[in-house]
Amino acid sequence: MSDSMTSGPDRQTARRSGLARAGLLFCLVFVASCSTKEVIVVGNFPPPLMEPLPVTLGVWYEPDFLGHEFFDEAKGRAESSWIVKTGDAQVQMWSQLLNNMFTRITKMDGKPAPDQMNPIVDAVLIPRVDELQYAIPAHTNVKVYEIWMRYAFELVTTNGEPIAEWTMTAYGKTPTAFLQSDEAAVNLAAVVALRDAGAHFITSFQKVPAVAAWLEELQQQRAAVASR
Amino acid sequence: MIRTLRIVVLGLTVVLTGCVTSTVDEMVFNEPIEGIGDSSVVILGRRHASDYETEFDFIECIADHVVARDSSIEIIDEIEFINALYPWFEPRTAPLRPADIDRLVQQKPVAQRLTDLKLEYMIWVDGSTVQTNSAGSMTCGVGPGGAGCFGFGTWGNASDYEATIWDFTDKAEVGRLNASTSGQSYMPAVVVPIPIIAPVQGTACDGLGDQLLQFLSSEH
Repeated sequence: MSDSMTSGPDRQTARRSGLARAGLLFCLVFVASCSTKEVIVVGNFPPPLMEPLPVTLGVWYEPDFLGHEFFDEAKGRAESSWIVKTGDAQVQMWSQLLNNMFTRITKMDGKPAPDQMNPIVDAVLIPRVDELQYAIPAHTNVKVYEIWMRYAFELVTTNGEPIAEWTMTAYGKTPTAFLQSDEAAVNLAAVVALRDAGAHFITSFQKVPAVAAWLEELQQQRAAVASR
Repeated sequence: MIRTLRIVVLGLTVVLTGCVTSTVDEMVFNEPIEGIGDSSVVILGRRHASDYETEFDFIECIADHVVARDSSIEIIDEIEFINALYPWFEPRTAPLRPADIDRLVQQKPVAQRLTDLKLEYMIWVDGSTVQTNSAGSMTCGVGPGGAGCFGFGTWGNASDYEATIWDFTDKAEVGRLNASTSGQSYMPAVVVPIPIIAPVQGTACDGLGDQLLQFLSSEH
């Protein structure tokens, strides 16, 4: 019925338009199935409630840490690639945490080394994210989004001589929620993991044997100076 | 007209609500007979297990249930409390026994913050709501004449929550409440899907909320 009412050129235009729509739909489906989901982790981190340790600590964030991101390429057409950018949130959380955990925090001008001019501090902390893993319900069939991170810490003198080296893990999860996108859930899991990292650092820092020994030595040095 | 509408809405609500079976147990000691006065209470969810976590909205539901029936009871918001005492109530660091509170209050800033909050009772809620079964199928379609669905779906939910009450002054456990509920929801669809939802989690919230209200309030 509609065909009989359509003139020749109109039919051609309609066919072209139909092909264009089909092409667009195909492209959308293709792009959607192979798209990259990007999460720039954003969150609020409360200051820790504790008595600051009497230490003037320097902190050096390496470029890899400042711009830390995790990329996971899609395994198939049905999956999406993921980029999780945690750099800004890492710096925000660690700066907030360290500022309240120690009496004084100083950002270093350069990586501690014998010929590097830096402010005078008791020691310099260098945090690194060694590994980040994530899991979403599409991977595990469990209705939970998870982020797991392994940190590596170096505590060094201003000359770069090692005082202590240790690793620490952090974990965050969030259940699926109605009307919550994958990106929002991964962000929330990352924020929970960062909070966990802060909690783990605060409760384990003084228990690292080399750190405990260094803190004791620092205390003895100060007592000796005070008694002179 | 309005009255008829109200009756229809009420009738639909009753008809479209699935059945829920609920069991509530309680065991409490040292109830505050005069109520809790100007002290405050915090209700916190347990989240240290790997396979589940107590839902934030369930904790909020219990708090709302209690406050709606006795506005004199001051319940501190869970997230505000956890943030105010960061990092001591994170899943990794939260106290698991009343005796652990002593370890916490050895830190002056923590002890001071808790004093400022006038905390009298800390209530830990552990549990979750899970889907136990599902069956049926439904097909939906869109055509030039409109859209519609046809089919039937059913699923079951079960909630199991336990609330443990800690007396913050005596650093002792003074009560344990348990609410277990289960129910079956249905969704028949002939053009329009009609959800008949069993309020499983809501019933567990009401059950625990009522028991907590009896414990904390002098008026109930």
